[in-house]
Amino acid sequence: MLLPKFEFYEPTSIQEAIDLKKKYRGKAKLMAGGTDLLVHLKKKLVTADHLISLAKIKELSQVQQAGDTLKIGTCVTMSQLSKSAVIQEKFGAIKTASDNLGTHLIRNRATLGGNVCNASPAGEALPSLIVYQAQVRLQGPEGKRKIPVESFFKGPGKTDIHEGEILVGFQLPLPEKNYGAHYLQLGKRKSSEINVVNVAAFVEINPADQTVKTARIALGSVAATPIRSFHAEDVLTNKAPGEAVFYEAGEAARHKDCQPIDDFRGTAAYRRAMIGVLTKRTLETACKLAMAQ
Amino acid sequence: MSKFDVINSYAPRIDCPDKATGKAIFTDDLSKPGMLYGAMLQSPHAHAKILSIDTSKAKALEGVKAVITSKETGSVKYGVSPARYDETMFATDKVRYVGDEIAAVAATSLEIALNAVALIQVEYEVLPAVLTVEDAMKEGAPQLHEAFTNNLCAEVHQEFGNVEEGFKQCDIIKTTTMKNKRQDGAFIEMQACIAEYDRRGTLTLTTSTQVPHYVQRTVAMVLGMDVGKVRVIKPYVGAGFGIKAAANHQELACCFLARMLKKPVKMNYTREQVFMYGRARHQFSHTITTGAKKDGTLVALKHECYLDGGAYTSFGIATVYYTGSLLAGPYKLPNMSYDGYRVYNNKPACGAQRGHGAVIARAVFEQQMDMIAEEIGMDPLELRIKNMMNTGDTTCNDLNMSSFGMSECIEAVRDGSGWDKKKGNMPKGKGIGMACGFFVSGAGFPIYRSDTFHGTVIVKLTEDGGTALVYTASAEIGQGSDTAFAMIVGEALGIPLENVRLASGDTDMGVDLGAYSSRQTLMTGHAAKEAGEHAKQQVLEVLAEQLDTPLEDMDIKNGCIEFKNQTPDFSALRTRYIKEHRGWTDNPESEKLTFKEASRIAFLEKGSIVGTGKYRPHWLGGKFKGAAVGTSPAYGCSAQVAEVTVDMETGQITIDNIVDAHDCGKAINRNSVEGQMQGSISMGIGETMHEEVIFNDKGQVLNSDLAEYKIVTAMDMPPVKAIVVESDEPNGPYGAKEVGEGAIMPTIPAILNAVYDATGVRMNELPLTPERVYTAIQAYKERSNA
Repeated sequence: MLLPKFEFYEPTSIQEAIDLKKKYRGKAKLMAGGTDLLVHLKKKLVTADHLISLAKIKELSQVQQAGDTLKIGTCVTMSQLSKSAVIQEKFGAIKTASDNLGTHLIRNRATLGGNVCNASPAGEALPSLIVYQAQVRLQGPEGKRKIPVESFFKGPGKTDIHEGEILVGFQLPLPEKNYGAHYLQLGKRKSSEINVVNVAAFVEINPADQTVKTARIALGSVAATPIRSFHAEDVLTNKAPGEAVFYEAGEAARHKDCQPIDDFRGTAAYRRAMIGVLTKRTLETACKLAMAQ
Repeated sequence: MSKFDVINSYAPRIDCPDKATGKAIFTDDLSKPGMLYGAMLQSPHAHAKILSIDTSKAKALEGVKAVITSKETGSVKYGVSPARYDETMFATDKVRYVGDEIAAVAATSLEIALNAVALIQVEYEVLPAVLTVEDAMKEGAPQLHEAFTNNLCAEVHQEFGNVEEGFKQCDIIKTTTMKNKRQDGAFIEMQACIAEYDRRGTLTLTTSTQVPHYVQRTVAMVLGMDVGKVRVIKPYVGAGFGIKAAANHQELACCFLARMLKKPVKMNYTREQVFMYGRARHQFSHTITTGAKKDGTLVALKHECYLDGGAYTSFGIATVYYTGSLLAGPYKLPNMSYDGYRVYNNKPACGAQRGHGAVIARAVFEQQMDMIAEEIGMDPLELRIKNMMNTGDTTCNDLNMSSFGMSECIEAVRDGSGWDKKKGNMPKGKGIGMACGFFVSGAGFPIYRSDTFHGTVIVKLTEDGGTALVYTASAEIGQGSDTAFAMIVGEALGIPLENVRLASGDTDMGVDLGAYSSRQTLMTGHAAKEAGEHAKQQVLEVLAEQLDTPLEDMDIKNGCIEFKNQTPDFSALRTRYIKEHRGWTDNPESEKLTFKEASRIAFLEKGSIVGTGKYRPHWLGGKFKGAAVGTSPAYGCSAQVAEVTVDMETGQITIDNIVDAHDCGKAINRNSVEGQMQGSISMGIGETMHEEVIFNDKGQVLNSDLAEYKIVTAMDMPPVKAIVVESDEPNGPYGAKEVGEGAIMPTIPAILNAVYDATGVRMNELPLTPERVYTAIQAYKERSNA
């Protein structure tokens, strides 16, 4: 299998990239790390006469803290995220997800923007972005817009990106106090995996009575897109964290929120059961972290 | 302290510097002036009649030099075993699996070749396909090969002793079933080759193979050439594990194109094609009944097995025999019967892979040993020792254990793992398990019936006297055979490893059956030792004459001449040597006469000194049908203890550590022996835990890449304690025998026994994916609660 022929562009500004995309419209594809796209091109799952790399646009490769928000450029790699001090300190569930994606070699190239635009239901970083309430920053010929990452996914490989738009990055509110978050995934082996299921949880504790003030739980690989587990969140809200509540939340996620399918990586029944276990376990850790603050 | 000067040490491998720096040359690194690129058309259907093939559009594409189908190449049948030649270079009347070869193209670039392949038009009549053993054996099932009715490729029926009578004496009888999944070798280097044809009619094929010799013969046969006009060269190879132990379609097509066009042609498999070609471990479905007395004495074993063979035979006949024959040891077992069936279906052919035929049978049997031990309240390790064969014993099917360090291996893993303290005392969710296994150290007979030597080696001393050059047609495929043979020659000749240079993997260098059945260390090793000794003899003969000293009073050690009695005055020889070396800077000043001087003097007297060595096994084994499969000059044996942690909620298993003891007779290079032990365990863990080639209902492989076909990663690999046991094999060079395959035999059952210890659940299907383990645990809980 050979890569098909294409014209390759390396614009150095967002505007230049937007212009190129506009010029070639449907015949052009944007490339960040290329770890999914190049494989898809090779397998002829996608076609592109023109490939526009975003790698040379410096501002897209930065992690920047500005006041109470964190901006992550679309081309920031998984390795960069793993090593970033602010990610390590404030966004543990993103750190764990970026540590876990693919192999070392892939993590050095694969980007957060690419992971999101690829919109795999099993996407490694997606549940974590959802529970941190990340916003997707888009820029196109019509201007800029921001939407919650949670509503960005429309199906396997499908997103809310408009023709001509570029996902330029993410904006995340810096979590305040009394919170904890965690991410867990399950695969057949211990690394280089494609998830059978993955779960992220974010919990904020009310310091006055040590009950759960807010809980956000996101589930991967059990629906056409990563999804929120609202029933599990309801179970937790205003309750004191504990084994029984975590279990109940897990059961709610398992029976009420996920809609998995059978495929060669696992059956729907197993995925459901594992959503129960992983939800319970992520909540355990997230709550422990929250209460330790 | 070792009594050896070169072997039996931890030697840095001679291929290491080049491999570590990326300088080692593999087939795909090579290109030739004027080289063309080949590509193949392979069937998109699992089963179809070919009604017509139109190559005109492909031929018309600019840059295309040739398009060949069976019309051009003819349909010479070939295969691995002459008893089942059921393949042709290209399909003639029908295709039998997704990937069956139909045509090949040579063009000026790979891109053009691939485009031309897409332009070949084939009209198919799609036939119903059978994809499982069960479907293939049903009455009225679609048939793959006319000559083999009911899709039965081969069947074996054997009985040794009297199994029914045996069971009558038994107090405990255990029957279990188990199946594994079809494997892929997952070697890192995909098959690649370059064929060249010179104007004098010699065809040279450079290829990634384990067996230059068999490839040479197959190419000659299929292309209708003299064997002597075909030369096969094997550069460095990125492993084979059995899959590269026979000629493939690509090699044949490449040779045909090169001869036809008189231009070099290069062809490569993609990873997807590696999966399509298959030829790795079969899927086995075993039913085994084992009977023992209440004191633990094994009495009888009844074994039935169905092998999911795929569309062609490949190594299948040997496989189906090995599956039965290698259960006859390592325990004393007077009665054994075996009924084996290898079944064709419309998937890629299965073949040989590390632990050929015997790995899953071993996994079933070693679990039954634990079941029997549990029932009679005996430590499973003691049960094994109680039934263990002794050195010199012969199995009921005539396998002779000429050396046998099995009990030493068990004791080594008992101590190494802390078994006595741990067994029965593991905390919840943790388990410990053990198992034994053994394997041939070289197939006793060549694949084709012949009196051929299995290996020849030439040692030539350089004329300056400094270096021994070793020439062998054996196959270094990453396992370390080049280093082993250089060490053996160094030992035999009495010179350090650094003074030995070795070239291998070229059919022009001699006969060597190649790297399969764990044969090279013992067989080629014998030839290497003999060649080294022969060269030494010639040097000493000259010295004896020159120094007027009896030959038997002299020896060569560490690059110097040792005299049993008083050292004779050799100053005349030294003066002559120095005179020869006028102007050189490395005149010898040592008190001892050096090998360098002696071999230079030998050259001056006799011309080039060439030592030759050869090996073929003594006549081995029984007279019953199939006795040739399983016989070997020696058997390597091993015992392993595995510790696991099972996540009872998710079914995920973590292998915490493995202690492995292997009796390799005598370690030639300890680095390589331990490396093979580690590698075997890694492959065994992969097969136990997550490796499985998955097909859809059209017979297409769904996971034909190393992202979805899950081999062991560094994160999955537990710490391994590798303990080398040496039993001094009388039939081995310096006492050496195999390690490459025997070491995989206990891995799967040791893990399975540990998982049972942790969970109380016996798993009867591999791999142990979290889902399969979770489901089994749930079912067990329901049974326990009912």
